[in-house]
Amino acid sequence: MGRKLIDLKGITKLYDGEAVVDNIDLYVNENEFITLLGPSGCGKTTTLRMIGGFEKPDAGDIILNGVKVNDIPPYERPINTVFQRYALFPHLNVFDNIAFGLRNQKVPKEEIEERVTAALKLVSMPQYAYRKVTLLSGGQMQRIAIARAIVNRPKILLLDEPLAALDLKLRQNMQYELKEMQRKLGITFIYVTHDQEEALTMSDTIVVMNKGKIQQIGTPTGIYNEPKNRFVATFIGESNILTGTYVRPNVVSFMGVEFACVDTHFEPGETVDVVIRPEDLDLIDPEGARLTGIVTSSVFKGVHFELCAVVQDKEFIIHTYENRAVGTKVGLKVDAYEIHLMKVEQSEH
Amino acid sequence: MNIKKLGRLSTPYLVWLSMLVLVPLLMMIVLSFFRTRGVSFVNAAFTLENWSTRLIDRSVQVALMNSFQFAGTTAVIVFLVGYPMAYILARSSFANKFVILVLTIIPMWSNSLLRNNALRNLFLSQNIVNDLLSPLGISFAWNLTGTKLAVIIGLVLTYLPFMVLPVYTVLEKMDKSLLEASMDLGANKIRTFFKVTFPLSFKGVLTGFIMVFLPSFSGFAVPYILGKGTFVVVGSIIETSYNYNINFVSTLSIVLVAIIFLLIFTVSKVDKEGESFL
Repeated sequence: MGRKLIDLKGITKLYDGEAVVDNIDLYVNENEFITLLGPSGCGKTTTLRMIGGFEKPDAGDIILNGVKVNDIPPYERPINTVFQRYALFPHLNVFDNIAFGLRNQKVPKEEIEERVTAALKLVSMPQYAYRKVTLLSGGQMQRIAIARAIVNRPKILLLDEPLAALDLKLRQNMQYELKEMQRKLGITFIYVTHDQEEALTMSDTIVVMNKGKIQQIGTPTGIYNEPKNRFVATFIGESNILTGTYVRPNVVSFMGVEFACVDTHFEPGETVDVVIRPEDLDLIDPEGARLTGIVTSSVFKGVHFELCAVVQDKEFIIHTYENRAVGTKVGLKVDAYEIHLMKVEQSEH
Repeated sequence: MNIKKLGRLSTPYLVWLSMLVLVPLLMMIVLSFFRTRGVSFVNAAFTLENWSTRLIDRSVQVALMNSFQFAGTTAVIVFLVGYPMAYILARSSFANKFVILVLTIIPMWSNSLLRNNALRNLFLSQNIVNDLLSPLGISFAWNLTGTKLAVIIGLVLTYLPFMVLPVYTVLEKMDKSLLEASMDLGANKIRTFFKVTFPLSFKGVLTGFIMVFLPSFSGFAVPYILGKGTFVVVGSIIETSYNYNINFVSTLSIVLVAIIFLLIFTVSKVDKEGESFL
């Protein structure tokens, strides 16, 4: 990955005295596709708006290419934004919308013509140049909004939940197209979403946020397989989270049974959170199984079945290809490398 | 209730509309081609003189000119004053914008004749403020009464709210993310205003322009009071001729209606989406 392009140092933003973004540190490399992921109100959009220059941080510095840009207005930053509701200018047609930024930079007429045409081609809408933007569908407006931003060749493209208003099929197509576009153009994308699947599909790096704080930064696989805390584990994918005790290296005990695991860096006797993904639980014969439970519900989800099983008053979610009838007694098995241990956080609950 | 039944609800309105608007309008057209005594058609004689010699009479020409001048100047000044007012109001972070808005409307609640008469007093060399201030050695004597300036000040003060309100409404409901998008794309605040804010509020301006232009074009009270009767306007010709020549008054009224319709037609052409007030 390239060199550091933008660096947020100790950024805090207060609204009515309450920290919406609370002392976050984050840097983004060149050509990176980074996603700020979190539930609504977690501060991800505010962070994006501070990078774009629409909000000023109350504390901390935003450093772009080695220069502090806290007080530089949006129109002087080499950054463009794709807004959540597109924000296309209704009084201009498609061409003039896309040319808006170039005209502000006083680009010569022929070059504008050329670049706008190229941008329209990139978003596969070359024949729409003289259409009224108010007559476009949501997906088309989205493409024009993207074209309007990238035509300026920004260093960083900010995307604020750009796909939220599209239907599922279109959203999935756009996810691949966006990723492809980012690869082709070599622009750094900073993407904001609350949709974990979207984040996992597109990002090089995911920043999970909650309550104004960064919970974890990592690659999609890293974040999925090794969540740092309960919040990340429950927000990204489904999880069974149990309280257990770390016995000694490679051994953890929960539900009164000792299991082999691969974690080694806890204190013996320390209480830990144990995460087991539903797809990592295997159904086995209850005879001789270390965990046994009774199936309480079974839902067909298309590819798999989602079973609920009660084991010692604790409900487990299991994803399996073979169905089991409600009321059946089942045994559960989990492999050592699929047990993930997390430090218990005092602030939680 | 289906749409047909709902349509029937408009029947009373249509009846009143035809009785109070269409019939009188037709009457005016008919009257304009005759010479009659009042609205009685006894001894009525067909004539085109209302549409020819009388209409190009010097006094009528001057009146039309004056009306145009007053209405045009007023509309432009009201725009120049009202737009910034509406803009500042819409953009201010003041919690109770409604209060300020009401303050601009409150003068409309008192009778405009009263207000303009009060204004006339202020424009006299012996006015109430001067009487109060002269003991302090401060002079507040204007002596504007009877000048065009006085008339225009009166018209501007009377019709200012008609510009502020529609412009304010358009600015207030404008999507703020459009302004952010403009700045994001490299337009500074001034350029954003001229490239985005103003074009998008143009419909409000147009509405305001018509709502100011029309009454100041056809009205006669303000020019009469503040102009001391020095300026003939279309309205004052209609008012003074009403009692002895209803035929020519009809002609003039039709001309007024035609001008008004022409204006509204032009606006509806520009304002295709019909998002503004009209």
